[in-house]
Amino acid sequence: MDLRLTKTQNMFKRAAADFVKVEAPSHIVTEWFRNKATFLPDLYRKAANLGWLGMVVPERYGGASASFTDCAVVFEELGRVPLPGPLFSSGVLSALLVLEGASEAQKESLLPAICSGRSIVIVAITDKGVDWGTESVETRLTNTTGGFVLDGTKRFVYDAEGATSFICAARMENGGIALVLVNRESPGISITPHVGFMVSVAEVRFDRVKVAASSVLGEAGAGWQILDGALQKALPILCAYQVGACQEIFDFTAEYTRTRVVFGQPIGRFQRVQDHCVELSIHLDAARWVTYEALWKLDSGLPAAAGVHEAKAVASEAYYQVCNFSHMVHAGPGTDYGHPLMAHSLMAHTLYQYLGTPLHHKRKMMDALYPRGKG
Amino acid sequence: MDFNVQADTQEISVFRKEVREWLQENMRGAEGLRWSATWSTRENEEEYQFRRKLARELGEKGWLFPMFPVEYGGAGLTIDHQLVLETELDHSGINLAAVFYTLARIVAPVILKWGTEEQKREFLPPMLCGEVSVWQVLTEPQGGSDIATCHTKAIKNGNHYVVDGQKTMVGYHHPPDFLWTLVCTDPSGPRHENLSWLYIPGNSDGITIQPMSLMMGIKNTVFFDHVRVPAFNLVGGENNGWRVANTHLELEHGGEGRVGADPLVERVVAYCQQMRVAGAPLMEDTSIRDIIADMMIELHAVHLFARRNFWHRYVREPHPYGGAQFRYYQRMVRLRNGERLQQIMGCDALVPNLTVNEVVDFEYVVRSGPGMLHGGGTLDTDRLVFARRVGLGRPTKETAPTTI
Repeated sequence: MDLRLTKTQNMFKRAAADFVKVEAPSHIVTEWFRNKATFLPDLYRKAANLGWLGMVVPERYGGASASFTDCAVVFEELGRVPLPGPLFSSGVLSALLVLEGASEAQKESLLPAICSGRSIVIVAITDKGVDWGTESVETRLTNTTGGFVLDGTKRFVYDAEGATSFICAARMENGGIALVLVNRESPGISITPHVGFMVSVAEVRFDRVKVAASSVLGEAGAGWQILDGALQKALPILCAYQVGACQEIFDFTAEYTRTRVVFGQPIGRFQRVQDHCVELSIHLDAARWVTYEALWKLDSGLPAAAGVHEAKAVASEAYYQVCNFSHMVHAGPGTDYGHPLMAHSLMAHTLYQYLGTPLHHKRKMMDALYPRGKG
Repeated sequence: MDFNVQADTQEISVFRKEVREWLQENMRGAEGLRWSATWSTRENEEEYQFRRKLARELGEKGWLFPMFPVEYGGAGLTIDHQLVLETELDHSGINLAAVFYTLARIVAPVILKWGTEEQKREFLPPMLCGEVSVWQVLTEPQGGSDIATCHTKAIKNGNHYVVDGQKTMVGYHHPPDFLWTLVCTDPSGPRHENLSWLYIPGNSDGITIQPMSLMMGIKNTVFFDHVRVPAFNLVGGENNGWRVANTHLELEHGGEGRVGADPLVERVVAYCQQMRVAGAPLMEDTSIRDIIADMMIELHAVHLFARRNFWHRYVREPHPYGGAQFRYYQRMVRLRNGERLQQIMGCDALVPNLTVNEVVDFEYVVRSGPGMLHGGGTLDTDRLVFARRVGLGRPTKETAPTTI
């Protein structure tokens, strides 16, 4: 047992911390979130140059062959900001999706472009905001001569704005699910941001979009298994991002209890304020240790399915609750879009939904441990 | 990071094999016993005698306190050896720190840190060898969690202290060999600067022990009536008791850590797989599965916190607030799980099952939810300690004491 980071991981952590200090100071970040201007091409390019896209992708495809924990350490620091942009959605999830399910030729053409940041590939999964299960893949993929036609509307496509192409989960005529790579510029695609209490999310409509037969990723019909396999590895990295966010909120909330004086004393002297901080810390640390345990399982090749779903449930719930407890401590000033807590609150609500709510993942955890129909 | 508690080097795997074989031999006769979840829940002479015997045998090898120096009865081993002993004993449903009815697991590290050389040589070997049982004796009727308000007086008289007063909510169902007692050695002195610790032989004249029957089991009131204790038995310096208490309380309040996991969820699942309602196992019911998921997730977090604290303790880098956080959370989770058990299995959760360990006995879990919210200090003291360690509302943070 050793619960420390390695030397290399500490180096990654410092590099990421230094980067965000310079590139994403808090007063600028609050503006991004206030204006919902969260796709920042310059910033994305700089992050790509530091090698943070496709970190876990093998070097021969342009990645860094890093471990999942190495990658998570970087994302934990990015979560502290919270740094927006498709670093996770393209650089981790789509990269793993391609690695997991694409043909060798597809890997060779797609992965180096994702890792360098030239291509931003975004996965569009569900047609229903209320569910992330296989039944909610409704967009149709119909055979035509020489290819397919894609028709349907995807809800909650995270980071759609910056996409150069989409990987769309689509229902084939035989009922199977295929993953289809579609260029963003294809005629028939329209992107409409979801307006509301979330960020970086859009609805993507595929209106009779023509796609070539060669655009199907890997084996047609195996789309859901490929997606599941990629999520199994990608989710803990997203969890680490949420852990970083929780840690940052814990730190600035504790600091606020020292400096904010009302009723004649720093508010941290009030036991009820202390109680909020205790609950906040429990959510933070539960998320931290469940996440890093899942990462350790992945890196060690141990069965990780239940642990990964648990981590997503715990980390998304934690980020949401940590924001809420911090709001209790900050009261009015914390609800101003100029306050760093508001960027986190927006992001926490978004990631609570992204790729499935805590309840969805708790049930997946239970199904992984205790399959139904087996008594 | 490596969460594996059984990632053994070659040397360690040889040790694990030795421990496993030793346990196979020495756990014989324990098959029919039902381990108590805590040491105060019931009187079971057979279990008690077995645990005493096992402790003496472990102690003889230095394995009861494997990382303690050899000269005091430890084995001078490493954290890896400690882990082997913890994980192997865990298979039998026991943890090393709690082999038998003693709080030596807390008292011994405090004496190791604060005792003089002569005191360590005198007091530690019998504890480390598993020969003596020790109670911690802190709480008083008036003070409750506020242990610094200590009315039990110990006044020096020649080379003795004379102890008078009353302690409550302490101990187990067997009288102790020693009482590790917080006393006031300077009744007119300022708060926190008038306390000391006495290691009092249990057979001293003037000690009366009166059992109390409580929600969670047996505790006792102890009366001290002119009890004469040799001055040699005052540990950590006269009127320095509050600093000594910090070490003690950190260990008692969660800083101790643990590697074993609570097997409650497995038991609940087994129940739900067997119990059928309207023709289908309870385990197929979505709402039941949701409750079990919450129970599992919270118990897993408790387990990870305990493991984190264990690791911080034995690498001697105490976690700043981990002890208090763990203890508060563990108690709240136990309380919530009591209700969850009732939601899942109805009144079956209120009937003791004498064929299983108390650790996984539903009735015990339900009852100890509210019953054990405050042992060793209320939830509120845990949160208070947390606040000081994090430095909420204050410019400085209290540091966690080092312990082993």
